[in-house]
Amino acid sequence: MITLSHVSKMYSPDIHCLKDVDLNVEHGEFVSIVGQSGAGKTTLAKLLIAEERPTRGNITIGGWDITKIPRRDIPFLRRQIGVVFQDFKLLPQKTVFENVAFALEVAGEPSRRIRDVVPQVLKIVGLEEKAVRFPRQLSGGEQQRVVIARSLVHRPKILLADEPTGNLDTINTREIIDLLLKINAFGTTIVLVTHNREVVNALRRRVITLADGRIASDHAEGKYLLQT
Amino acid sequence: MALPITTWRVIVAAWKHFTRNIWLALTTIFVLTLALLSVNVLLGVNVVLDQSVHLLEQKIDVSVYFAADTPDAVLEEAKFFMTSLPQVDSAEVIPASQALDAFKKAHAGDQKILSALGEVDGNPLGATLIIKAKQTTDYPFLLQALDNPQFGSFIESKNYDDHAETIASVQEISRSVRLFGYGLIGIFALFSLLIVFNTIRVAIYTQREEIGVMRLVGASNSYVRMPFVVEGILLAGLSLLFSAGIVMMVTAYADPKIQPMFDGTPNILLTYFSTHLPWIVGIEGGALAFLVAISSWAAVGKYLRK
Repeated sequence: MITLSHVSKMYSPDIHCLKDVDLNVEHGEFVSIVGQSGAGKTTLAKLLIAEERPTRGNITIGGWDITKIPRRDIPFLRRQIGVVFQDFKLLPQKTVFENVAFALEVAGEPSRRIRDVVPQVLKIVGLEEKAVRFPRQLSGGEQQRVVIARSLVHRPKILLADEPTGNLDTINTREIIDLLLKINAFGTTIVLVTHNREVVNALRRRVITLADGRIASDHAEGKYLLQT
Repeated sequence: MALPITTWRVIVAAWKHFTRNIWLALTTIFVLTLALLSVNVLLGVNVVLDQSVHLLEQKIDVSVYFAADTPDAVLEEAKFFMTSLPQVDSAEVIPASQALDAFKKAHAGDQKILSALGEVDGNPLGATLIIKAKQTTDYPFLLQALDNPQFGSFIESKNYDDHAETIASVQEISRSVRLFGYGLIGIFALFSLLIVFNTIRVAIYTQREEIGVMRLVGASNSYVRMPFVVEGILLAGLSLLFSAGIVMMVTAYADPKIQPMFDGTPNILLTYFSTHLPWIVGIEGGALAFLVAISSWAAVGKYLRK
């Protein structure tokens, strides 16, 4: 599903964010990418959604080589990868329903399909009763669930979650992780970028540890090991 | 992507941009209206100047004064010869008696001239040949043509210079005003471009979050750009309407004021603007919409590089 082959990313000759990274994620996997700040986690996430391009190496997603993806094709890539960020990125002047529908509107989906799909995904994330509320009227966990609902409307094969629990308390964190596991159970590949040790250790799924831009460890049922 | 749905959503988004940033929009409309007015003022000044030149050209002629004893056959010969020239619009002979009557009428209040005229036996004035050229530039040629040996020796004097200098100075003023006007249009176009560009940039800055989310969820670059371009075209259209209204009001006020200057010809400006309306709207509106659309397109580009 996701293949990185000898991928390096340099912003200048002195700043190496990723160094010769080889990685393969299979369809339906739940992978946690962990590491300390500056380890290269966010750079890796940006490479996967073509917000950045690798300096060297190749990236393939679902058989599509996105290493040198033309700018005009990036929207199509982003409709195949659901993205969830720590800071939610919801539109404050739109309701829950409108925020989710927005992802379909920009893709030119017909209004009838939007009316059908949005309630379905809101039901998956448990927010069907709060469709007419605005983001400011929701808790942090609920806002993150709206973001997850929005990322699901295109039925993506991959869901990339970059620190999705970074702004949440323990209870809401648990709810979001349970939701990600539920989505994974439907067959969606999940890439979770996090530095939350408790979350990673509780998952008991594949853990890839980045350190200084390199893959330090890759365990099938790993734990978040302390870096020294 | 369903084109009608997308087009409708783009129009709705453009309208939201417009209403959410109404003060910015009004400022842009004000500047664009000023730019259009500067163009229309230049057009109006051109019309007045052209009309002035035309009026003066109507009055210009060459008066050829023949000796008092010039035979009628020579006068007819001169008239026939001048009329046959392609540069001549008309040639008319005023007989000596008619010339005397006109002279007396012109100097009716001048007792000295009239008494001096009474001292002379008979009619001291000869016939006059009045020639109008098709083009003012043809007069030097016509003056040369009058040196024809068949009747040239009967000519006592020619009178041409009076209006030529006036026409030359009006044409010179007209050229200077046009040059100044083009400069003015250029400056306003540049100001408009910069202000529109900055207005769009500010509008985009206020919506950078929305643009970021649009791109994140897979909006194409054109879907992000088009609302701003459509908003720019909307601003251009409203500016065109405002400037048209102001031009019509100024025209209605100015036409009666300038009417006496043009021998009573009414509605000079109104006639010009109404007969050239499709051209003016097409060229001014098209150029402005193009300018604004390009500015919007370029301004959004900064946020679409990633």
